[in-house]
Amino acid sequence: MTAPAAAAGAAAAGAAVRAPFTGRARRELLFCVLGLPLSLPLPVVGFAVTIWLAQVAGPPWTADGNPSWLALLTAAAVVVLTAALMVATGLTRALAAAVRRTAGKLLGEHVTTPPPPRTRLGDGPGWRAMAYLMLKLPAGLAEWYVVGVFWVAGIVNLSYPFWWLSFRNHSPGVRLSPVPVVTPFTWSGVGGHFQVTTFPGTFAAFGAGAAMLLAAPWVTRGVVAADRWLIRGLLGPGRLTQRVHDLEQTRALAVDNAAERLRRLERDLHDGAQIRLATLAMNLGMARKKLGDQGAVPDVAAARELVGAAHRCAKDALVELRELARGIHPPVLDNGLGDALASLAATSAIPAELVVSVPVRPTPAIETIAYFCAAELLANAAKHSQANTIKILMTERAGFLALRVTDDGIGGVDPARGSGLSGLAQRVAVVDGRLDIASPPGGATTITVELPLRAGHR
Amino acid sequence: MRIAIAEDAALFRAGLVRLLEDEGHQVCAEVADGEALLAAVASQRPDVVVADIRMPPTFTDEGLRAALELRRVHPGTAVLVLSQYIETRYAAQLLHGSPAGVGYLLKDRVADVAEFTDAVGRVAAGGTALDREVVSQLLAASRHAGDLDPLTPRERDVLALMAEGRSNAGVAAALVLTLGTVEKHVASIFGKLGLPASETDNRRVLAVLRYLGY
Repeated sequence: MTAPAAAAGAAAAGAAVRAPFTGRARRELLFCVLGLPLSLPLPVVGFAVTIWLAQVAGPPWTADGNPSWLALLTAAAVVVLTAALMVATGLTRALAAAVRRTAGKLLGEHVTTPPPPRTRLGDGPGWRAMAYLMLKLPAGLAEWYVVGVFWVAGIVNLSYPFWWLSFRNHSPGVRLSPVPVVTPFTWSGVGGHFQVTTFPGTFAAFGAGAAMLLAAPWVTRGVVAADRWLIRGLLGPGRLTQRVHDLEQTRALAVDNAAERLRRLERDLHDGAQIRLATLAMNLGMARKKLGDQGAVPDVAAARELVGAAHRCAKDALVELRELARGIHPPVLDNGLGDALASLAATSAIPAELVVSVPVRPTPAIETIAYFCAAELLANAAKHSQANTIKILMTERAGFLALRVTDDGIGGVDPARGSGLSGLAQRVAVVDGRLDIASPPGGATTITVELPLRAGHR
Repeated sequence: MRIAIAEDAALFRAGLVRLLEDEGHQVCAEVADGEALLAAVASQRPDVVVADIRMPPTFTDEGLRAALELRRVHPGTAVLVLSQYIETRYAAQLLHGSPAGVGYLLKDRVADVAEFTDAVGRVAAGGTALDREVVSQLLAASRHAGDLDPLTPRERDVLALMAEGRSNAGVAAALVLTLGTVEKHVASIFGKLGLPASETDNRRVLAVLRYLGY
């Protein structure tokens, strides 16, 4: 074993020893303990009805002192009715909310609350929550089993050597009955009868307890994982509902973005080209007045100067309009992303290295979004990164277009601090794309934008 | 005349100053927002204010609100509001009460120096200068549109120019007619529409605008 491998092994062993004492183990243990009662109402109702019928009512509810089939069927019907009642009154939803809260707090499992029900009994999320409560019975029993056998029994086993001497110090020759030791195998029939009869034997129990406690966090994690899976699947809004919710949000974003872009466009026109053209017209009007309709011109110099000013205004207006038009849709994009990104990279304030490998052409809408993402990322890097070089990589893989912009700047990009990245993420989300930011403070920043080749094809 | 200018686009403001100074007026204040305009008018007491509607900080109707405030606080100061687009609702707010000493023009109109300075002069003299865009929108939307049918095309032209706030002489100049012909047209229009003939231009503008549904 080499030195680093040994160190890694020691670290792993240390982690394994510490595992039972971590906060995570504690929280998962607490979750296991709290969970089971939630699943009990229905079984208790069913059991109570069955017992009551079997004990109190006579035939036809009992057969040979046992509940008859009729009694069992009736109990089942009562259970179903109770379930319906729990759904209709919103009790299941309340219980589901409690589970979601607990799971969020203890497991870090954050599940979105489903939308409110439309009708009392046609409450899909309510019935799915009911299904969770039913499945919670086996899941909760498994959790309690783990708590009892691994944690409680593990601790009890550890204690054997300590009380043995105090309670079992009988005079020699007295024969004592053996003390059973509970292990996960106790009820399995495999080496099931672990008993201690002597003081040295208690150390075997101690060892078993230690092993059980070391295994406990991992077994707990296993049963909790199953529960997490149930929570995610049954207590959330459901895939379709979640999708609808996401679509509603991105649609609202798209509408807002479109309105905002139009407003900005109007503002740019109003403050830019329009005012220049108005000034141009005013200057020409003044020049025309100076020149008069015919005959000699008294103040040629002033007229010349006004025409010169008008000429400048006209040229400025042309520049502004061109910039504006390019901001709406860069004409070079019609030749494909390669050309468009090349001209973008060529005008970048920070030297940019460009690699484009996109054999399949995306739809124009996707090309436009990809282009503006690249433009925004370059502008952002130029503004904030203090980088010396930027790498732009655009590739296509499995129906997705990936744009990766990497700079060697100061890092620490935080989309929450309004760097235009959140707006970009919204724009990308509208077509089911995604934006990933890797920007450790002081390190290189890599921002990856992934877009489907065509909008609407997931 | 002493003129105060409120316009946030420096380029256009400089042009306006030059244009008005070339015409022999004195520009006593150049500001870029509504607040500064109110302060400048209070201290400089200009005869006329030329104000852009859309100015900082909100870039919505700063100039208009400043103009309305001026009309209230300094009724003697004429106000000419300029804008890159025409909103009839803004015109209605400006003219509310009295059309005396008030103007509302598209910025484009400054290109015709004579027409623009004529409008400034008219407003300063207590008259009205309403952009022909406003008038044509009014004519198009007038609930009396049917009643205008008896007017001849020429009479409609005269009606529109009266609504803009022009005097008979102004109408005559614009349509290249003699003063007498214009007076005849005006009398005919008032007769056909059943409006009381009035001596002053202001009352006449008001009558026409009221008729058009203002």
